[in-house]
Amino acid sequence: MKNQAFDPITLEILWRRLVSIVDEADASVARTAFSSLLRDAHDYTCMFTDSRGQELVQGTFCTPGQAGAMALGVKKIIQSMPLDSYKEGDVFIVNDPWLLAGHLNDVCVLSPIFFKEKPVAFTACVFHHSDIGGRVSSDNREVFEEGIYIPVTRLYDGGVLNEDLLNMIRWNVRTPEEVTGDIRSQVAANHVCAQKIMEMMAEENLVTLDDLADEIISRTETSMRAAIENIPDGTYPHKGVIEGAGSRPDIHIQLAVTVDGSDIHVDFDGTSDQVDWGVNVVFNFTYAYVFMAIKSAFDPDIPINEGAIRPVHMTAPVGSIINCRFPAAVAARMQVGHFMTEMVFNALGQATPDRVIAGSGGTPAQTNILYGKRGSGKPWHTMIIRGGGMGASLNMDGHHCAIFPANGANTPVEILESDTPLIVKERGLVTDSGGPGRQRGGIGRQMTLQVPTAKECEGTPPGRTTIAVQAGRFVYPPDGIFKGRAGACARFLKNGQPADPSGLTFLDPGDCITFVSAGGGGYGDPMERDPEAVLTDVQFGYVSIEQAKTEYQVVIDPETLTLDLDATQTLRHKPKGV
Amino acid sequence: MDQSVFRLGCDIGGTFTDFVLVDTRSGEFFTNKCLTTPDDPSDAVEQGIRQLLAVKPGFLDQVGDVIHGTTLVINAIIERKGSKTGLITTKGFKDVLELGREIRYDAYDIFSQYPEPIVPRALRKEIDERVTADGQVLKAVDEQEAKTLVADFQKQGIASLAVCCINSYENPVNEQALQRIIQETAPDLSTSYSFEVLPQIREYERSCTTAVNAYVKPITFQYLEKLTRRLAELGFGGKLYIMLSSGGITSVDTARKFPVRIIESGPTAAVIASQHYGKMFDIKDMFCFDMGGTTAKSCLIQKGHAGLVSTFEVGRVQRFKKGSGLPIQVPVVDLMEIGAGGGSIARISSLGLLAVGPDSAGADPGPACYNQGGENPTVTDADLVLGYLDPDFFLGGTMALDIEKSRTAVAEKIANPLGTSVTDAAFGIHDLINETMAAAAKTHIAEKGGNPSTVVMSAFGGAGPVHAYGLAKKIGAKSILVPPLAGVGSALGFFTAPVAFDLSRSHRLVLDEADFADIEDLFARLEKEGADILADAAKGDRVIFQRTLLMRFVGQGAETDLVIDPKPFTRWTRQEIRDKFDTEYKRLYGRTYPETPVEFVTFKVRATLPTKPFTMPQLTGGETSLDACIKGQRKAFSVLQKEYIDFTVYDRSQLFAGACFVGPAIIEERESTIVMGEDAAATVDDKGFVWIRIGEEEK
Repeated sequence: MKNQAFDPITLEILWRRLVSIVDEADASVARTAFSSLLRDAHDYTCMFTDSRGQELVQGTFCTPGQAGAMALGVKKIIQSMPLDSYKEGDVFIVNDPWLLAGHLNDVCVLSPIFFKEKPVAFTACVFHHSDIGGRVSSDNREVFEEGIYIPVTRLYDGGVLNEDLLNMIRWNVRTPEEVTGDIRSQVAANHVCAQKIMEMMAEENLVTLDDLADEIISRTETSMRAAIENIPDGTYPHKGVIEGAGSRPDIHIQLAVTVDGSDIHVDFDGTSDQVDWGVNVVFNFTYAYVFMAIKSAFDPDIPINEGAIRPVHMTAPVGSIINCRFPAAVAARMQVGHFMTEMVFNALGQATPDRVIAGSGGTPAQTNILYGKRGSGKPWHTMIIRGGGMGASLNMDGHHCAIFPANGANTPVEILESDTPLIVKERGLVTDSGGPGRQRGGIGRQMTLQVPTAKECEGTPPGRTTIAVQAGRFVYPPDGIFKGRAGACARFLKNGQPADPSGLTFLDPGDCITFVSAGGGGYGDPMERDPEAVLTDVQFGYVSIEQAKTEYQVVIDPETLTLDLDATQTLRHKPKGV
Repeated sequence: MDQSVFRLGCDIGGTFTDFVLVDTRSGEFFTNKCLTTPDDPSDAVEQGIRQLLAVKPGFLDQVGDVIHGTTLVINAIIERKGSKTGLITTKGFKDVLELGREIRYDAYDIFSQYPEPIVPRALRKEIDERVTADGQVLKAVDEQEAKTLVADFQKQGIASLAVCCINSYENPVNEQALQRIIQETAPDLSTSYSFEVLPQIREYERSCTTAVNAYVKPITFQYLEKLTRRLAELGFGGKLYIMLSSGGITSVDTARKFPVRIIESGPTAAVIASQHYGKMFDIKDMFCFDMGGTTAKSCLIQKGHAGLVSTFEVGRVQRFKKGSGLPIQVPVVDLMEIGAGGGSIARISSLGLLAVGPDSAGADPGPACYNQGGENPTVTDADLVLGYLDPDFFLGGTMALDIEKSRTAVAEKIANPLGTSVTDAAFGIHDLINETMAAAAKTHIAEKGGNPSTVVMSAFGGAGPVHAYGLAKKIGAKSILVPPLAGVGSALGFFTAPVAFDLSRSHRLVLDEADFADIEDLFARLEKEGADILADAAKGDRVIFQRTLLMRFVGQGAETDLVIDPKPFTRWTRQEIRDKFDTEYKRLYGRTYPETPVEFVTFKVRATLPTKPFTMPQLTGGETSLDACIKGQRKAFSVLQKEYIDFTVYDRSQLFAGACFVGPAIIEERESTIVMGEDAAATVDDKGFVWIRIGEEEK
């Protein structure tokens, strides 16, 4: 073996190969997974660690919350057992929210990788299972109501399937075929990753990955520290508020971001206590979205591993909503957890106005779980994720419709309609929803679903459809920054009338439900937006003629859709209050 | 005149337009290369043919077919130079094109850019119609509403119109109604309908593909009209064929109707040539490697067949980032293209590591050694410093290279900052680009179920033969094949492509419930459509059909392809189909689950005509003594010894059948240079192919 000061060229080659190995495992999921949440919406993350449990590479198309949280959890699990107690062929399964990604739906499958009869690394993936049993709602009081809870358990013990465990899981979910199929897909993804790592080690004549890991991790840490050095030292406080669902009280987040040389410390002292409904967040998940803010704003190009997280420190009171105690209800933890990125941006914005974005309508990710029975009596179950307009930044309008800071894709209308009895009536952008600003916030979108009547489905209509909403921004819109205005709020309508998104909603044949996601916040004073850009927005229907006038002080002729520059200048230069 | 005497292949690339004329009686070749003329690519075609006419007077009226590949369509998309295009879609869905799939392709970059929709929002209109997922018509098209939409579009001055309605893949009746009305109202308007362009599930991908087709349809039409006319004026009376992205060739008529099918017309040609050689030499796994100035294309060819995939991306806003482009779902040869070419730029990354590509110095300013003001070291500069290229024999000596400029660029930008020597830095560049290509190649080969250590690598393109040896060693390949005319080899590939067209239809049916007679009807309809498209070219020849089933476990998201015998579908039993599926699934993923039900998702038909026989000519004349082939000795860098050693330089044009020699050697021809180290041996066969074997010694 070559021992093992890696020259820069060899290091680059090996590192690149490790990234492509994880991406290959990631790609296998789309081919083998069952649920549309995985195969179409990509709500999963693959990664692997060195023999000490330090994250070495995560998949390029990951979901930052899963990725960040599982890196901490997987390390803890691996280090909880002596290395020599792992057997070749072991496969662990776990969904403990406090250990991993914060709710029961995120199931982790973890396998040691053996090379020359020694465990040299671990491969892991977290899939979001849209069905994990339990009562599907964000108003549960404890985690016990939310589904089946799997502590760290061997799914395969030295290569032998634990049939009893699989049976136990099957009897606790609504759609056992799908859940089992997706667990098989997780085992296959880890298998692909392990095979490729073993091949690489054989070809490169390596007996350990740990030397390579040390080198990769230390370079990444150096890069992250250099990026943090560029932020002026100081303590940057912020107080944020997140709406309570329905009539529940608001949640207050208080943070102080301290930049000290190349270290950054985020402290959440003063934040609201945990609550008796499903939006409590475990430490790992909070950390993941704090980390997301620092990484995406300051050092986005370097692949993530243990080194990137070393300079980012976090403290939060135990028992607060962002570091909750067992057995708090956590199923809808993204309704609070996703806000952490925005909170950190707001704190750091004054110091680094060019590196942050305004509030986003895709914060939190707007998710809906829908299930019921077809006319034939056959059960169906699906979950969709919706984005909103992204916040604007110094030089860019916000992108329309993205899931941020989480990530994922929509489910195509034609897939949703063929997987469920539902009919999608519309899915499109919402005029005037982007927060006005020198840079405009991204536009939000709306989607209307209908449960078909007998006439619309050629036969027996489906039974009652149940909908659980895990979303937000119904009360407080995504804020603008630096004089930019807020985007439009999210809305939830049943048959055209505002309805309560908390708890469960039931639909009968003929009923329609409309989900409107929020627009992104603007950046800078809308009065400073180029009138030509406002004109284009009006021509494209992003902005109405009325909003152009009231918010941007830009006058557009409704007949010709052309700019009235004189009237615009008069309006823009009119003294205030006249 | 006898039109069967000559065939002409013409390939328009980014820099050069290549021509290969073959005399079918003698097998003799005539080649030509001239600069591409981007403003009107048919200029270069005419100019090149005139130059060939000077060599071979009067050949054109004896040419039976001209086979043509072009980058016209892809460039129009990348540069957004297509026509003003409108889109009609179902009420409620005009933003499908703009919403896309909503995924952030770079999870940790908050400033990512996204491609603009190919049809802007002001040109997307909705019509109140609806079909359900199982094909039931909830609302039919209202004729008056449709006519008003078309009139509005005409006022807006569109030149092309796309139509894509929700669930039309399952039942196209509403799109067909629109087609009738639009034909009556606006008979001259260029139109594209999704049920014809891509009758497959997933509305964003189908809309995007249909809209892109509409966007490039007028310019493709005009270009092909013009090219046809210019060829006729030159005296050509045969038939013009266009290369498809799928590796077949098609009539001008079909290319005009479905220009989205010729997007990858250019890069496909080398693959097609390799396919032919794969069959010719009966090679089980051939790895086609085509490295040009900006990108490298690679493709695994198994038993003479390249794989086809049903989706790819064009016009990426971040060139090599997956997800940053427009998805196009038409059959395309499964080649992998990465940003690795002679012009790829080397630099130090923010981590203090060497990085090469994907940015390219292009033709202007080009590598430092071109002496056109380029200061960044490129792969070509490294190759020159390492002695692999001869500064006085680049493009046969027509372009002098400045090796000092290369050394300076490598020293200043790489060696000094890293604290290494110029030689080590240059080798680092050469080696890293090989590693980049090797990583891509290994992934590609492994995904196709091949084994890198048993492939025969075929090398094409200006930089391909220079890097083939290093790449082969990295992936563990033992054998390299460099075909004659490697520089224009892709135009040669055209002669071996079949006239073909692929059709498909999505229709979900659970295996246990499916009516096989209905499936037979569906296949028969697809085959009838295919036969109609090929009728003109067939001239009585029998059309050959291949049937493919795309199946999966009920509830799964992706399908497994099963090629089946084209016997009437009613003659299959359910168990036979099930067994076929389980066997294939197990092969791909290690285990299968026979208790879990499976379903059909998509049915595909490939219609082809028999290919015309094509044989490579025998190597004739030339020397029979190796000494006469040797141009001299040159110091070049040895991968094995990590130092400069003497390489023997051969002139490829002098090599004779049966010639064999060992490395270290460099074989020079006009358009490229073959490099082989001291552990390699070469033989030349009777058709001029150079076969290189790399020894079994340890690295």
